[in-house]
Amino acid sequence: MNACILGIGWITVDGLGTGRGGEAFRLTCGSLPSLKRTLFFDDPHPRFGRLDPYTKLGLGAVSLALRDAGLDQWSEKRPFGLVAATETGCMGTDLAYFKTVVPDGGSMASPNLFAYTLPGCMLGEASIHYGLTGPAFVVSSACGDRLDGVRSALDLLRWGFCDTVVAGWCDPYVAADACAGEATPGAVFLVLRSAPDGPVSAENGQIRWGGEPVADISAFAESARMRPSNRCSVIGV
Amino acid sequence: MNTVHVAAGGLLSALGDGDALWSALLEGRSGLRPGLPFGTEKYVSDVGGWVEGLESPGQARTEVLLRRLFAGYLDVSADTLLLTASTKADIGRLEEHVREGGEELSRALGHAPAALLQKMLSLESPQHRHINAACASGTIALAIAAAMIADGEADSVLVCAFDVMSEFVFSGFSALKALSPDPARPFDRERGGLSLGEAGAYALLKSERRLRDEGGRSLGGIVGWGIASDANHITAPSREGTGLIAAVEQALARACIPAGDVAAIHAHGTGTVYNDAMELTAFRSLFGRIPPLHSIKGATGHTMGAAGVVETLVALKSLETGCIPPTVGLCVPDEAAGGCVSNVAQNFLGDCMLTTNSGFGGTNAALVLRRGV
Repeated sequence: MNACILGIGWITVDGLGTGRGGEAFRLTCGSLPSLKRTLFFDDPHPRFGRLDPYTKLGLGAVSLALRDAGLDQWSEKRPFGLVAATETGCMGTDLAYFKTVVPDGGSMASPNLFAYTLPGCMLGEASIHYGLTGPAFVVSSACGDRLDGVRSALDLLRWGFCDTVVAGWCDPYVAADACAGEATPGAVFLVLRSAPDGPVSAENGQIRWGGEPVADISAFAESARMRPSNRCSVIGV
Repeated sequence: MNTVHVAAGGLLSALGDGDALWSALLEGRSGLRPGLPFGTEKYVSDVGGWVEGLESPGQARTEVLLRRLFAGYLDVSADTLLLTASTKADIGRLEEHVREGGEELSRALGHAPAALLQKMLSLESPQHRHINAACASGTIALAIAAAMIADGEADSVLVCAFDVMSEFVFSGFSALKALSPDPARPFDRERGGLSLGEAGAYALLKSERRLRDEGGRSLGGIVGWGIASDANHITAPSREGTGLIAAVEQALARACIPAGDVAAIHAHGTGTVYNDAMELTAFRSLFGRIPPLHSIKGATGHTMGAAGVVETLVALKSLETGCIPPTVGLCVPDEAAGGCVSNVAQNFLGDCMLTTNSGFGGTNAALVLRRGV
């Protein structure tokens, strides 16, 4: 199964970017920018300010990818899939939530925080905001290439679950014991669509771009950003 | 498409292993009881489906659960792919970390169970994936494993799903007012919420060729699967059941069977007002007259990420025996259930069963199982 790229969006320490925006993609160590609603939505998003950092980051990057693809406006729900790879996921939210539980035997437990202690709820927010009704799940793995989301997206396309998937990686936190090369927070999502002559493929789990192996999410995002000619047309969405 | 067999399965629940659980279900016994491994004074309930003997000094509850789950089953080929599924994985370690004043995040807090399994079972494949899709995690992992085998990408995949009882999750559902003060009563007119449970379960899926070559038996087949989102609300299901309907329609289409061939349903049946109403609405829309249906969550509690695998194994036993167990906790069925749900065992004729799960984030998953493929 091959796929082409309809759009790409990311949030890294260096800032926000989209494929058509022409910004450079780079994963570096440091703190992510402060994320405000107006960076992503023209219309009010009543919950954005109350979302946890993981959900804000993931929803923001999904929004940028869909905008880059010209798919951020909708009137009918769409059966697009949503897959995210993560290492630490919403672990920071987990810690924050459990700190509300410990002091008084649980009487102060925050229901609002608890709702975001599942990494899939970030995808749920994206599916609600953009009317995406396809399969949605998070794939987590330690010390990987951060491409499990893209890998799973290609699987979903090949197995006929859907013909378009928003897939990527989202990690707002860096673990104290992070593997080498994984000490960089951020999120990047791509809109992938089935295309027999598309540049993206997988062979025995190895993601390839134009037949060449791709090392990690950083190299993949750079390929998608640098080669707009390999993108598929949005016509027919 | 390759035929997908469930070649082996095992579980550990509040009511014991697979055989003990099946017997208890047929007797209408519940494993929901007080005695949770944390104080419950400030919560709306003090009952849950907890597994006896998971406390062990120096070992996380998840680790003890997984070691006991696989204590009698270690015969898995090294080339088998591993898929794990859970909502909160090793949550006990995170709780301990916070109680000790820990602030920093650690990979070990999230990935220890999968590493333990890989080592314990001597699996060689580096392609392990951990699926998190709330309470549909186990079902989605089974759907992915089945698709891998059907497509020829793999011929042996082990799906292991687990979630343990934790104050973290218990306090959250209590705060959301989703916990029933008394043991859950799925599909009952007076149902008042869910009860939490804990469980570990595995299913070893194999292709026809692999099963034949290795001389094993089939517990049954996974012949259809579907996954869909509501795109409606983070913690509440779509009242129309749109995501569940879409997931079931996909599963039926993959199985190449009409809705009328579904002889019985193992429902998600959490016992919350909205979940059970949503399921009945969806099933009514799909089937017209709903086939015999049951839920085990009044007996095991809601085992979260493990539910999909536990319930698939129970459904395979139902197909083998032609009987779905009573819905434990049911007194007076919801009017919308219209005779499909019962507090006594129901016999059925037919070779296919449907099992479904839904979760936070609006996710839904469905599997069609076939007897003796």
